[in-house]
Amino acid sequence: MTQDMMAAVAIDGGDLPLGGGLLALVRPALSLLQPGGQLAILSSDPAVREDLSTWCKVERHAYLGSELLEGGRLRHRVARGPLGVPESLGPGAPDRADPSTGFAPLGARVEPGGPAYPFTLLERDRVMPPEVKELYEQAVSSQWNAARDIPWAAIRPLPEALERALGQIMTFLAENELSALYVPSNFLPKIHPAFAATAMFLATQLNDEARHIEVFLRRARAPGVSSVTTSQSLLSLLLLGDFTEAAFLLSVLGEGTFLDLLKYIERFAPDEPTALLVQKARADETRHVHFGMSHVRHALSHDATLFGRLEAAVRRRAATMSSAAGVPAPIADALTILAAGGTDPRGVRRGHEAFRELLEMMHVNRVKRLETAGFTPDQAKTLSDLHTPNFM
Amino acid sequence: MPDATILVGAVAYDPKAVTIWEGIREHFRDQGVGMDFVLFSNYERQVESLLEGKIDIAWNTPLAHVRVRRRTGGKSVSLGMRDSDRDFRARLLVRKGSGIRSLKDLPGKTLAVGSRDSTQARILPLHFLRKEGVELDRLKLLAFDTDVGKHGDTGTSELEVLKALHDGRADAGTVGDLIWVIEQAAGHVDAARIEALWTTPGFDHCMFDAPPGADPGKCERFTRALMSMSWENPKHRRVLELEGLKQWMPPREEGYASLDEALDREEKR
Repeated sequence: MTQDMMAAVAIDGGDLPLGGGLLALVRPALSLLQPGGQLAILSSDPAVREDLSTWCKVERHAYLGSELLEGGRLRHRVARGPLGVPESLGPGAPDRADPSTGFAPLGARVEPGGPAYPFTLLERDRVMPPEVKELYEQAVSSQWNAARDIPWAAIRPLPEALERALGQIMTFLAENELSALYVPSNFLPKIHPAFAATAMFLATQLNDEARHIEVFLRRARAPGVSSVTTSQSLLSLLLLGDFTEAAFLLSVLGEGTFLDLLKYIERFAPDEPTALLVQKARADETRHVHFGMSHVRHALSHDATLFGRLEAAVRRRAATMSSAAGVPAPIADALTILAAGGTDPRGVRRGHEAFRELLEMMHVNRVKRLETAGFTPDQAKTLSDLHTPNFM
Repeated sequence: MPDATILVGAVAYDPKAVTIWEGIREHFRDQGVGMDFVLFSNYERQVESLLEGKIDIAWNTPLAHVRVRRRTGGKSVSLGMRDSDRDFRARLLVRKGSGIRSLKDLPGKTLAVGSRDSTQARILPLHFLRKEGVELDRLKLLAFDTDVGKHGDTGTSELEVLKALHDGRADAGTVGDLIWVIEQAAGHVDAARIEALWTTPGFDHCMFDAPPGADPGKCERFTRALMSMSWENPKHRRVLELEGLKQWMPPREEGYASLDEALDREEKR
């Protein structure tokens, strides 16, 4: 075989000068070759011979020469140089991602020598549970509109005590949802883009929280109190540095407990719009809990030492809560009045019972979730008891 | 005991010179080689400092290198160069519609040239044109003497030449092939207005110079650390990209013969 025949790829550059469009043909053609692979370039521009050889020198390709064809055209041959050859990232998420691939999406071909990005969540088993894509699809198809999908106009003023109780509950919900908006945001920029599926799911979660904050605040006609217990509890979530610990404390324990809370509020809601908005929020929160559960379960199944670390995280957090007084008084009272439907003592007795049942139900369901995640019944009971009195 | 730290001189033709040399110094430190740098504002003072022994090594332009060779009777020690320093050429560009189809058409035309101390944009293209029989006295020279003292490092005079060709102030112009191709690749050249007509023979560009009698240990440590920089190493790559090379190369002298000849002629005038 002659050397000439070795040029596997040939392009017709017409009379294009190097800086007048020829490179737009040459560069992509070369990028498809392996180092040493040859490209033939037909050109009728006489300046191309010198320009192409200098350009090859700059780019470390080898200019192999040219031959004169009939009609005065030149056929140049270039061998692709050894430097800057992109490596394919492959279509699937890797076990461990390389920080120097930056924001290159999966499937892209990445030039070597890029800077290392400050991503710290690099292991698939700790970042991307298998269910995440399905949960993302669900989230996308379940989005709703706070302004349009709630019949706000149907809301009538309530008796003052009930209005204040509902305002307190809605203020409390919005405060907690603000933390649920901020806490995952801390981890999003640490997730390696090879696991963008998780980042994208979290984006839907953030959008959900934003919508919840909007509807809760809109429903709160009388503003409520923000208690120190709530504030301490949410700060301890915000300061978490570990993604899996955060998923465990926020989504499995916190949002999990919120499912029971939202169900309770829906059950005793004073009107249809309130019941509906809480029901819709609960559907979203169920998805967040599902993601948190699959995240933690998947991580635990790959690393048994994580049980101890998660338990320690719950204990550390409990130690930062100065008050042992239980559920913050403003929310405990408001939930009682809501279930009572007002301030009539007989109703309040029933409301108090309902509230006690709620706390018991929260505990039972937390233990179930913890056992599902892989904890023993004893561990599950201990962890549930240590969970914040703030619910989230 | 003499100081083991190698003191390298370079010209600060751009603020990035600090980034480049701090990067190289860090790499030398990683290699266990003590090195520090001194930045000069012009090559004339750098060459004097090298010959007076104030610095161990100078990163020199071809003009500074050939001057060091001539001043030391060829006894200076050449240590290394960039891959991109080899086989430099200069291009003669013409404005389309200027009526210049060959070098014979140049008399009477306006030729834009770079700084008087730029090897690639002025000294050598004029030298080679003269050797081709072009009577330079019959041309109108439009000279851009920008950044004199920096020997064309900044490229500003070459960009001025391109600008003069684009806007019609010049019929022809000389620039180094590197800037010509880089400006083309970046899409800055209007191919409908400017074309390349002629190319000079090859010549070499920058060189690390040590004075005669330089400490061989320092020279050896310097070249060993320098040559171990790799394009595939992200830390090195940043420095190499800024300095415009992909690989450091051993020295060679034959690429400076034409410049030496051009300087001979200057001196005889």
